[in-house]
Amino acid sequence: MATNKTLLIIEREYMSRVKKKSFIVMTLLGPLIIALFYGLIIYFSIQGVSGTSDKIAVVNENKTITEKLKSNKNIQYEYVSKSLAEMKKSVKNSGYDYILYIPDFPLDKPEGVQILGEKQAGMNLSGRVSDHIEELIRNQKLKASGLKQADLDNLKSSVNISVKKIAETGAEEDSSAGASTIIAYVSGILMFIFIMLYGIQVMRGVIEEKTSRIIEVMISSVKPFQLMLGKIVGIALVGLTQFLLWIILTTAISTAVIKVFVSEDDMKQTTMVQNDGTKMTSAAAVKDSPFGDIQKSMANLEVGKIVVVFLFFFFGGYLFYSALYAAIGSAVDNETETQQFMMPVMMPLFLGYALSLSVVTNDPYGSIAFWLSMIPFTSPIAMMVRLPYGVPDWQLALSMVILVVGFIGTVWVASKIYRVGILMYGKKTNFKEMVKWFTYKN
Amino acid sequence: MLSVRNIVKQYASHRALDEVSLEVPEGKIFGLLGPNGAGKTSLIRIITQITGPDSGEVFFNGQRLNADHIAQIGYLPEERGLYKKMEIGEQVLYLAKLKGLSTQEATKRIKYWFEKLEMQDWWKKKVEDLSKGMQQKVQFVATVLHQPELIILDEPFSGFDPVNADIIKNEILELNKQGATFIFSTHRMESVEELCDHIALIHRSKKILDGSVGDIKSTYRSNTYWVEYEGTYSLNQADPIFSVLESQQLGNITRIKIQLRPGQTANQVLIALLPHVSIQRLDEVIPTMNDIFIEKVKNVN
Repeated sequence: MATNKTLLIIEREYMSRVKKKSFIVMTLLGPLIIALFYGLIIYFSIQGVSGTSDKIAVVNENKTITEKLKSNKNIQYEYVSKSLAEMKKSVKNSGYDYILYIPDFPLDKPEGVQILGEKQAGMNLSGRVSDHIEELIRNQKLKASGLKQADLDNLKSSVNISVKKIAETGAEEDSSAGASTIIAYVSGILMFIFIMLYGIQVMRGVIEEKTSRIIEVMISSVKPFQLMLGKIVGIALVGLTQFLLWIILTTAISTAVIKVFVSEDDMKQTTMVQNDGTKMTSAAAVKDSPFGDIQKSMANLEVGKIVVVFLFFFFGGYLFYSALYAAIGSAVDNETETQQFMMPVMMPLFLGYALSLSVVTNDPYGSIAFWLSMIPFTSPIAMMVRLPYGVPDWQLALSMVILVVGFIGTVWVASKIYRVGILMYGKKTNFKEMVKWFTYKN
Repeated sequence: MLSVRNIVKQYASHRALDEVSLEVPEGKIFGLLGPNGAGKTSLIRIITQITGPDSGEVFFNGQRLNADHIAQIGYLPEERGLYKKMEIGEQVLYLAKLKGLSTQEATKRIKYWFEKLEMQDWWKKKVEDLSKGMQQKVQFVATVLHQPELIILDEPFSGFDPVNADIIKNEILELNKQGATFIFSTHRMESVEELCDHIALIHRSKKILDGSVGDIKSTYRSNTYWVEYEGTYSLNQADPIFSVLESQQLGNITRIKIQLRPGQTANQVLIALLPHVSIQRLDEVIPTMNDIFIEKVKNVN
C-alpha cells in the first residue's frame, strides 16, 4: 500500500515531466548543441593550425643576427627597411597586422624586442614569435661556436611521446593524457550540470505544490516522506532518461558532425604537418598530438565502466543534493525567497566543480584529489574527473559507500524539515527556524 | 464514530490544542467552530494524520486512528489547490488512486460525479483554464470520490458563488443522508444553522462549548419574547408575570420585548393580555449561533 503510493507519485512526477514540450525539445536539442560545440572546437583547433595567419613587418636593427625569421602558416614575416618611427605612423594602411621591432642587442643579452599593433598581440602570438627569435639567437650562437648549417638542420627533431600505463597484468596499455583529460572534463561538467539542473527541478516541484496549495490535499493521502521520495526518484528517472537519450543521440550526431567538419584531407594534412618537423612549431605540436591518439586510447579507456560509475554517482550525488533542495523548497513560499538557502548548498557543488577541473586534473592521484573524491559534497564530480586516469578499486568502493551513507543522511534530515515546512504558509523562514522544525516530533 | 480524547498539540512556544476532547456521532454533520487561529486546523490535521498529537488519542469507529483509516476519510483543506499543468480528469484520477481506488473504479466514479455536477467536458481541461468556483467543484469531487465514511470540510463555501454553494450544500446533505459523517469547520455561522446537527466551539486552543445545536440553543434561551398587539394595556414594571425590556409604538401597534419572571410561561402572558388587547404576534427570542458564538468568545476574553 505504502510503496504503491510512492510508485504512483513517481509515475506522476516522471510522466508529467517527460510529456512536457520543454523536455522533448531539450532532449533533442541538447546533443545537437553539445555535438556542435565539440565539432566547432575540433574544427577551430585544426583551423588554428592551418588557417588564420598574421602578417608581421619586421624592423630589424640588429646587426649580429644574420639569419632571417622564417614565415610559417600562422605567421608571415616580412622584413622592411623603414625605421620603427616611420612604420608606427603608417601601420594603419600598411596591410600589416603587427610590427616586430628587434633592436640591436648583444647575443647574450636580448632585450627590447617589441610587438606593436592596433590590436594587442595575444599571448599565443607573442609566445610563438619569442620562440622563433630564441631559435635564431640559438642558431647564431651555435654557428659562432663553429657549427655549420647542415649540422644545425641535423639537430632538429620532433618527438611525440606515447604515454602508456602498465596494467595489473603487466601488459602495456595505450593511454593518452589528452583523452583522459577530455573525458574527465566532459563527465565532470555533465555531472555538475545534471545535479544542478535536476536538484533545482526538485526544489521547483516542491515550491509548485506549496504555491498551488495542493500539498495539504496530498498530505492527507500520503506521508510527506513518500511524497518527497516519490518526487526525488521520479525526477531522477527523468534525468536518467534524458542522459541515456543524450548519449545515444550525441554519439550518433557527433560521429556525423566530425565526419562533416573534419574531412579526410584535414586529417592527412594534420599528420603531414606533424611529421614535417621543420614546418612545425613547438606550440602547435603539443596541441595537435592528442587528436591522433584519442581514437586509439578511447577504446582502451573502459567506457562501459565510466558510464556505469557515472550513473551511480549521478544518482547518488543527485539524491544527496536533491534532498537538500527539497528541504529548501519546503521552507519557502516562492522561488525568490530561495536565495539565502541556495548559497550554502551550491557552494560545495561549485567548489567541487572548480577544484576538480583544476587541481584534480593536474594531480589525479594527490591527496586533495583523494579527499575531494571521498567527501560526498564533492565526490560525484571529483570521482568522475579522477576516473579516466585510473582509480584504485578500494577508493572507488569507499567513495560509493560514503556517498550512500551521505544521501541517506541528507534524505533523513531533509524529510524532517520538509514535513514541517510544506505546511507553513506566509512565514519568512530562516535557518534557526529550520533547525527548530528538525527537532519537532511527528 | 470519531472520538477525540484529551488532545494536546504544542508548537515551540504556542500551545495549539489544550486537552481537547470531542465526540462526533455517526451520520451527523458536526460543526467545528472557532475564530481564526483557535486551533481548528491543528485539530483537523491530527484527525487526518497529517500531524500527530503530543498527547491524547483519537479513535475511529472504536479503533485507534491508524494509516488504514486514511482511505475512509475525505479531507478538503482550507488551503486547497490542484496541479496547475495537469488535466482535470487525470488529476482527480491520480488523487483517487492515492486513496486506494483502482483505475477502473476511479474512472467510473469520476464520470458519475462529473455528469452529476455538469462538468463532463472538463476532463481534458487544465486547472489554469478553470475559474476558482470550477476548481472548487473539482476539489469537492476529489474529496468525496472514494466514498469516505468521514468527510472533513474546512471552510467549504469560501469562494463559491451562491448557485454553486447551493449545489454543493445539496450534495453534502445527500451524502449525509446516505450515511456519511461530516466535520464542518467554519466561522460562518449561517451555514452552521442550516447544516449542522452538532457543534463544538474551540477558542484559544480550548474547547469551550459542545453539544447538539438544539440543546445549545435551548440553554441559551432567556425566556424572552417579542409581543405585538393593538389596543392599550398599562405596562407596569412591577408586573408579576413579566418585565418589559423594550417597547415601541408603531402606529396603532405596540411592540414590546418582555422577559418572563421565573416560573411563568408564555400562556400566562397571553391570559393577562387577551382581555385588554388583540394580539398580533408572539414569538420567542431564540439566540442565533452567531450570538452564542460571539457571547461565548467574549466571555472567555
